[in-house]
Amino acid sequence: MLSPQFKALYKKEFQSFFKTPLGYVFLVIFLFGLGYMTFEPGRGSFFLLREASLRAFFEYVPWMFIFLVPAVSMKLWADERKRGTVELLFSMPVTVKVAVLAKFFAAWTFVGLALSLTFPMIITVLILGRPDMKIIFLGHISSMFLAGAMLSVGGFFSAMTKNQVVSFILSVATCFILLMADSPPVLELVGTFAPKYFLNIFESLSLQGHFESMGKGVIRLSDLCYYAIMISFWTFSSIVLLNENKSE
Amino acid sequence: MQKKIKRKTENYLKVFLGILSMGLAIYIASTVFYRAKIDLTDEGIYSLSKGSKALLSKLDSPIRLKLYYSKTAANKGTEGLRSFNNYFLYVHDILKEYVAHSRNNLALQIIDPRPDTEDEEEAEAYGLKRFHITETERYFFGLVAISESGSEKIIEFFDPNKRDGLEYEITKLIYSVLSPQKKKVGVLSPLPIVQDEISPYMAQIMQMQGREVSQSWPIINMLREFHEVKSLGRDIETISGIDTLLIIHPTGLSDQTLFAIDQFVLQGGKALVLVDPHAFTGTPQNAPPSPMGGMPLNVSPDEKFRKLMDKWGIAAMEGAFAGDKYLSAMGRLSAYDPPTRLLPLMVCNRRCTESFKDPMTRGLEQLTFFFPGALKAQSVDGITVESFLSTSDKGSTYEVYPHELADPRIFWNKMEDGKEAVLMGMKAFGKFKTAFPDGVLIEKKPVAGPTANKQIERKQTEKKTGILESSKDGVVVVIADVDFIAAQFAFKQSFLGLGPANDNSTLLLNALEALNGNVDLMSVRSKGHANRSFEAIEAIEFEADRKTEKKAMEINGNIVRFEQELAELSKQANQDNMALIQNESLKKKKALSRKIVGLKKELREVKRDGRERVEFIGKIFQYVNTLLMPLFVIIFGIWFLHFRKRKKTHETSTVDAEQMVEQSL
Repeated sequence: MLSPQFKALYKKEFQSFFKTPLGYVFLVIFLFGLGYMTFEPGRGSFFLLREASLRAFFEYVPWMFIFLVPAVSMKLWADERKRGTVELLFSMPVTVKVAVLAKFFAAWTFVGLALSLTFPMIITVLILGRPDMKIIFLGHISSMFLAGAMLSVGGFFSAMTKNQVVSFILSVATCFILLMADSPPVLELVGTFAPKYFLNIFESLSLQGHFESMGKGVIRLSDLCYYAIMISFWTFSSIVLLNENKSE
Repeated sequence: MQKKIKRKTENYLKVFLGILSMGLAIYIASTVFYRAKIDLTDEGIYSLSKGSKALLSKLDSPIRLKLYYSKTAANKGTEGLRSFNNYFLYVHDILKEYVAHSRNNLALQIIDPRPDTEDEEEAEAYGLKRFHITETERYFFGLVAISESGSEKIIEFFDPNKRDGLEYEITKLIYSVLSPQKKKVGVLSPLPIVQDEISPYMAQIMQMQGREVSQSWPIINMLREFHEVKSLGRDIETISGIDTLLIIHPTGLSDQTLFAIDQFVLQGGKALVLVDPHAFTGTPQNAPPSPMGGMPLNVSPDEKFRKLMDKWGIAAMEGAFAGDKYLSAMGRLSAYDPPTRLLPLMVCNRRCTESFKDPMTRGLEQLTFFFPGALKAQSVDGITVESFLSTSDKGSTYEVYPHELADPRIFWNKMEDGKEAVLMGMKAFGKFKTAFPDGVLIEKKPVAGPTANKQIERKQTEKKTGILESSKDGVVVVIADVDFIAAQFAFKQSFLGLGPANDNSTLLLNALEALNGNVDLMSVRSKGHANRSFEAIEAIEFEADRKTEKKAMEINGNIVRFEQELAELSKQANQDNMALIQNESLKKKKALSRKIVGLKKELREVKRDGRERVEFIGKIFQYVNTLLMPLFVIIFGIWFLHFRKRKKTHETSTVDAEQMVEQSL
């Protein structure tokens, strides 16, 4: 069962996204950007592909997330630490674990809301043809896992620094490396100094690879494990880091 | 201070170790749990079909699979070449599935052949296709299967355009490397479909000698990959030594041949029959013209063969052609004509096959027929008749007269949409009865009769009788088109050579394999791909095409009429009225030009209207998906923030008022 502290903190954190115009700006940029990229009349445009699927849409989801998710996560702890409210928070009967999880899930819900507001895309493909709804559903689940993994990375960097901008930059850079980990140029670059077994490990860390694998309509236990390990590790690291800061 | 630094170092070490263990954990999970998956795609594209699994379960000796892919070369190549990486990953995924289901009988090896290495030499020696990327780099993407006995089979190149047939290709490779005995197919046809196999070297020598080299139809060469094909010619006494009989365009067959076919089926034989109300491909070039003008219809079956079919419970509707405006395709009558929608050119999709759920046609998406005929079932005791191919529900039949064959465009207006599907493929099974209950009189070959100093040729007839009813079940499959197996409708030339242009060849192979009982490979081939096109947009374009067609025909009709009028006028012309006639024809010409200009404008408008409607829909969806939700969020945000502000102000003013009241009191 969820503790009342978790519920209260989750609610407060989720509402905080709507109390300032910043949350709306994120949503508008995400929705407009994703819509524009999907219909962009260049290569791979949704309408030019003439395919009743959300392939063109999901292709851009990681690239929109790479900015949106760190932007959402940067304020999770950095802001609290800068304003000194983090001490106030931990003076209350709330454990670090509960606080980290509540903030993480609140941010995840916010990104989920942003993703769910793209529902006109699903209506569009349903009007135009006969899409494979299971692939679309899995694509969204995969996107949520991707967001979760990126948020946990962002949350870690937010807990690490007091400066939101630094947290944002570090998150974007880490997410970018993780996203591109299986791309040939990056592998070639890493291959110049790293041994082959390290290269294999590095390749398996790729966010893009696991995102695409699930988005194709196949649920692999390895993908689920990947997201579970990623989210748990970065979230656990955030808890360790905040516990350290708390004890200082 | 020192303690703090030590603590920080410890923290960094912890983070580093944490990242390392996370990487390791992910790597192990990715490797160990890779096979555990649920494939939710409609077509199960990441899973093997039952046929492949069944074949793999029968493996009892090891087979080595060597996948050659020039990954390094691809990464150095153009963007187009790099896109092959995705297909390689898919091929790799599928091959891993094969290995997982092979009970350790398959071993997969991935090789990236680099220039001037043993790997590259091997790839070349196996006969894999290579493409030069740079002066040194060569690109390979093929598969080699090597059995324990040392026999090798290859897929010389994985073409991403043939993605749907990938599983079939791999299963076929494994099937062929196991060298199972090929089934014998006997081909009986009056058409020159099967020719002797001639090696390219012999063909070259024959051409040099000025001799004509006649080759088998490409479909026969394809059949030879899986079956032993035997030509039975068009006249045969008895049919034996084959597993399946393929009869193509049965017309003009002798009584003796018909009797042989009858008896073959009665003995439990399996037959695939292709009939056609007009076999376009088999029409002889020097055929005498029809009495009604134009080239004659090349009809099969003839009356004699119909009697055989009557016993099978399948009848070819006489003079009836199957048509479906919604399945008609665009085609050109000549290189100079614009493409127009032709009713006789039918491209069947899921609508033709999905309701039957027959393994022969399941998953086939693109079947091209030309002037297909219509079939119907007849009630015959002890025989079950099932259909496996038809038009859509809006299909109907129409008649064709020889003089109309020159311009297939005219059939469009000859047919109205129907209310039920027209059947084009049927199968009958059960215990058949003979079509020759009294036997058959067979004319024996003339034999030389000795008379005094003179040889007289005597004709002899012999009555032949056979079994009257089959003791075991037989199967007959009938498809109402012959042209679908012809090169021009089933194959296309690409840079990789002659390959299937659609699912036509697959239909024939499926039917033969269904008859041969080779279900494993058959079910692999039947694995299809779903149609995910924008049907709503296609419907608009189809409607615009129909309207355009009508306008174009109107314009052409006007031009023809005008030419006739001009011809009439010029006939009336003589010395006296020449000037008048010229004036008259000029006037007519101007009037017609104006009319044609008007019609062409309408034609442009119809075309533009269709295009604009599609573009408009595109724009609407673009605006909805780009602007609607952001606008909604902005409006909601403004309202919510304003509401909160007002609420806050109200709360503050209430508190202030209460304080003032308190103070005043």
